[in-house]
Amino acid sequence: MTRPGSGRWGRRARSGGPRYPGWLALPALAWYAAFFLIPLGFVVAYSFAALSGYSDIVFAWNLDNYRALWDPLYGDVFRRTLGLSLFGTLTTLLIGFPFAYWIARYARRKTLVLLFVVIPFWTSFLIRTYAWLIILDPQFPLFRVVHVDLLFSRPAVYIGVAYNYLPLMVLPLYAALERIDWSLVEAAQDLGDTPLRSFRRVTFPLALPGVIAGSLLVFIPLTGEYLIPAILGGNKTSYAGSLIAQQFTEVHDWPFGSAIAVVVIAAMTIVLLVFSTWANREASSRG
Amino acid sequence: MNDQERLLLELGERTVSRRGFVAGTTALLAATALGQFPQAAFGRSEAEQLFYYNWGSYVNPKTYPAFTKATGISVKKDFYTSNEALFAKLKGGARGYDLAVPTGYMVRILADAKLLEPINWSKLPTVKKTIDPKFRKLPFDPKDKYSVAKDWGTTGFMYRSDLVKERPSTWRQFFDLAKTKYSGKVTVLDGIPEVIGSALVMLGYSYNSDSKSELEAAKKELLGLKPHLLSITATQYKQLLISGKAVMALGWNGDALAAAAKKPVNYVVGKEGGEFWVDSYVIPVGAKNTDAAHAWIDYVYDPKHNATETEYTYYGSPLRRSLLKGKLDPKILGNPGVFPALRTLSNLEPNNVTAKGTALRSRIWTEFKNA
Repeated sequence: MTRPGSGRWGRRARSGGPRYPGWLALPALAWYAAFFLIPLGFVVAYSFAALSGYSDIVFAWNLDNYRALWDPLYGDVFRRTLGLSLFGTLTTLLIGFPFAYWIARYARRKTLVLLFVVIPFWTSFLIRTYAWLIILDPQFPLFRVVHVDLLFSRPAVYIGVAYNYLPLMVLPLYAALERIDWSLVEAAQDLGDTPLRSFRRVTFPLALPGVIAGSLLVFIPLTGEYLIPAILGGNKTSYAGSLIAQQFTEVHDWPFGSAIAVVVIAAMTIVLLVFSTWANREASSRG
Repeated sequence: MNDQERLLLELGERTVSRRGFVAGTTALLAATALGQFPQAAFGRSEAEQLFYYNWGSYVNPKTYPAFTKATGISVKKDFYTSNEALFAKLKGGARGYDLAVPTGYMVRILADAKLLEPINWSKLPTVKKTIDPKFRKLPFDPKDKYSVAKDWGTTGFMYRSDLVKERPSTWRQFFDLAKTKYSGKVTVLDGIPEVIGSALVMLGYSYNSDSKSELEAAKKELLGLKPHLLSITATQYKQLLISGKAVMALGWNGDALAAAAKKPVNYVVGKEGGEFWVDSYVIPVGAKNTDAAHAWIDYVYDPKHNATETEYTYYGSPLRRSLLKGKLDPKILGNPGVFPALRTLSNLEPNNVTAKGTALRSRIWTEFKNA
């Protein structure tokens, strides 16, 4: 996974700086091996097992769980998940970009504004989502006036997603926009670019690393999101994350749950590969 | 997920009613204030603790500080929303819980999976004196090896009698009204056996059927109901009924009566039948303080303490009725919703689904949730 400010999308390494020995990465590598790769191995192994009796697992080493996934029922769930993830990414980008742009270029007390962006993180994700139950309740003053009842509906899930994931988009966007040398934009306009054209040709390409980082930070966790649908959607619309959670906590079919998880991870890896290839080409073509 | 799930449940519990919230907060304060003294008085060097894993709103908040005062044992709490969630937690390796309260069928499943410690009846003198013999040696634990009954009740449906004038009395009417006039204002439990079983009995089959064709028919009914549901929840329906956002709900009798204390709510055992259940105390494997678990069970089997519990949960007590007279509010003791007539009960079945039936239900549940 690529993080803002790292790798080729981020700041270039200072040329004259000290060189760090490679073994400094060992603790992190050991951490990922112990707590990511090994559990991931278990998930993959379980996905080839079978359920026996109420909850026992026998290692059958066959593809039955993957075959069972080949079913229109689950196709719908995956399509819905993709829709939710794309919606979340595009919405937070559309709301977040102008906001991050304003902070980076015009806001006078940047630290204070950024603090406001981060403040929601001070409370639990769950409590923030529960708060929306109160806001979306038809008895809440706002909705009593406009007569809209969104509680436990698909739009409620979408609102919850846009709200909860917005800071994850704004922060990397801000980080990218803040580094832009605005005299480049002025130069483009002095040389005859309209504001729109200078945005398209100068500002946006320079902000692209932030757009990519923010989109990944929103898109990837959204593919596994199940708490927002459970709370704001009345627990009746399933997404891939809900489907996996159900297999583990409700029907105790760990093998099948693992197979779904593997499919989601594989799909995500493909998306990431395509995305990073495209982004690298984009970055190198712009020089 | 653990912390989040627990929080979710605590919130679910707290939002049930204002009374619940205020009582809960008071109990918490009282526990911190009172909890200290008995320990000091007994000169215990180490605070004894009971880690109680339970359904939400299933213990009178007054009982915790009273128990601590009487025994010097403080209570740490965690909550689950379904038997299946409890099983998943224990099967997944969670250890340290001293006490839990699964429903009968889950007692058997947990015992078969070797996830329970045996009960030591010599540590339960009060229970032996006060329990109604009907609640000894229940079919799911015929030797009383792993469980002691806590509460019993039924699964049926409830409706706001001021908003639903049709007075439904059968499951068929419940389904029909849910799909037409009250579409979008109906909830069902987030529980596999309860929801699928209710559809089965509506069709005239056993609550525990493991016949593929019967379950297929039940599935059709449920998929037809799904688009008309407001929510699938075991923790929020009381609150939704009270607010009027929901007008009918598939749920448990005690919750219906608790809601009825706030708004006009009628509880119905569907004429076609339904579930009769017993929730029992068990000691999960790996318990740190089995003595504390026994102490809790014995404490709440005191008729006076038990009456306090019943007045809060509105679920039937397994104590001999003669002992509850004079202790329990006669309005509750005489309430057929809490202590149903034998005639009603004879029509009901306890959950006793086979492994085959469970596997078929799992698949149906996945379809129901994802439809």
